[in-house]
Amino acid sequence: MTGPKERSVKSLGALPEAIEPRRDLWPEIEARLKAETPPTATVLRSTGTRLGQLRWLAAAAMVASVAVGVWIGRDVVPLSAQVPGSGKVIPPQAAAPQQTGAVDAAFVSDPRYARQRAELLQSLQARLDAMPEQARAKVTASLAAIETAKKDLEGALGKDPSNALLQELLINTYQDEMRALTDVHEASDPGRGI
Amino acid sequence: MQAQSQENRIEWEGALVQRAVAGDTRAFERLYREHSGRVYGLCLRMTRDAQLAEDCTQDTFINAWKALKQFETRSSLGTWLHRIAVNVSLGKRRKATPVFEAQPEDEDGTLGGWTLETPVEERELESAIGALPDGARDALVLHALYGYSHGEAAQMLGIAEGTCKAQLHRARKLLRERLNLEIN
Repeated sequence: MTGPKERSVKSLGALPEAIEPRRDLWPEIEARLKAETPPTATVLRSTGTRLGQLRWLAAAAMVASVAVGVWIGRDVVPLSAQVPGSGKVIPPQAAAPQQTGAVDAAFVSDPRYARQRAELLQSLQARLDAMPEQARAKVTASLAAIETAKKDLEGALGKDPSNALLQELLINTYQDEMRALTDVHEASDPGRGI
Repeated sequence: MQAQSQENRIEWEGALVQRAVAGDTRAFERLYREHSGRVYGLCLRMTRDAQLAEDCTQDTFINAWKALKQFETRSSLGTWLHRIAVNVSLGKRRKATPVFEAQPEDEDGTLGGWTLETPVEERELESAIGALPDGARDALVLHALYGYSHGEAAQMLGIAEGTCKAQLHRARKLLRERLNLEIN
């Protein structure tokens, strides 16, 4: 046996439960893990489980993120070719994001964040209306995906407020939303072009 | 306070498990760092061989990674890992050396505590535990050292609860003889 120190004990329960291995076993474990199929693949197939639900939410957040990414890729036409918009879009909730108890990202509660977001939302519809139809459709779809992801994540966090993964996903989604709004704003600035 | 801390720990571990299930090996490494000592300690006491215990510890975490999606985050990850570690250790031990296990002598389940009247050196006690027959040692380590109930220890070892109690009785008798001490 290795590990026990020279000290007297009167009870078997006083023996240390943990004994450190002689060497770090993690590098070999990690190498073997990389050769294994990630557990994710199976999780995606499972339905109805808590983890399955988390994966769905993660996927929703990812879709939102990808949607923003596609749009940020400037897959829209220059502003100089403005066509007045015909349809109205459903903007992200104008109210400042509800700060779920567990979401402790400083920026969410920062008044500067709330103010900037409110300003961007105020001019959103006008800027969308000024976009070409194809571009507007893409932006609208992106913002709708973000909004859905936010609602789903906030709902899940309401049931499981201390879930760190959900918190992280929600914060990422807030950041995606801010990035999208900023890009809409910047893209429609005169002289900037998209 | 302690209950709160335990709750926080379960939540913290649950979050790491979820990240690991999603394929995050960094999260799994944190779980490994948190639990490797207790897993290795159990494997070492069950196998009495440092190299074999290292193999068992690695296999335990590999098996845990594969089965992580089945873990219910509200339960104790430490206990779940110990269950895997016991299975792995029993399997490796069977392969390493065929064990001719003597049958328990009786079914006395009234073991009382595991307190020595006179203190002994940790090393001496570990050595006496290591010298016990496999079955008696397994039951003793899980019950008296890691605090599992008779039922839990029996389930982990795949034996009847009565057999587990008998093995503990045998372990106590042998330890008493080897340490020449009374175990209350």
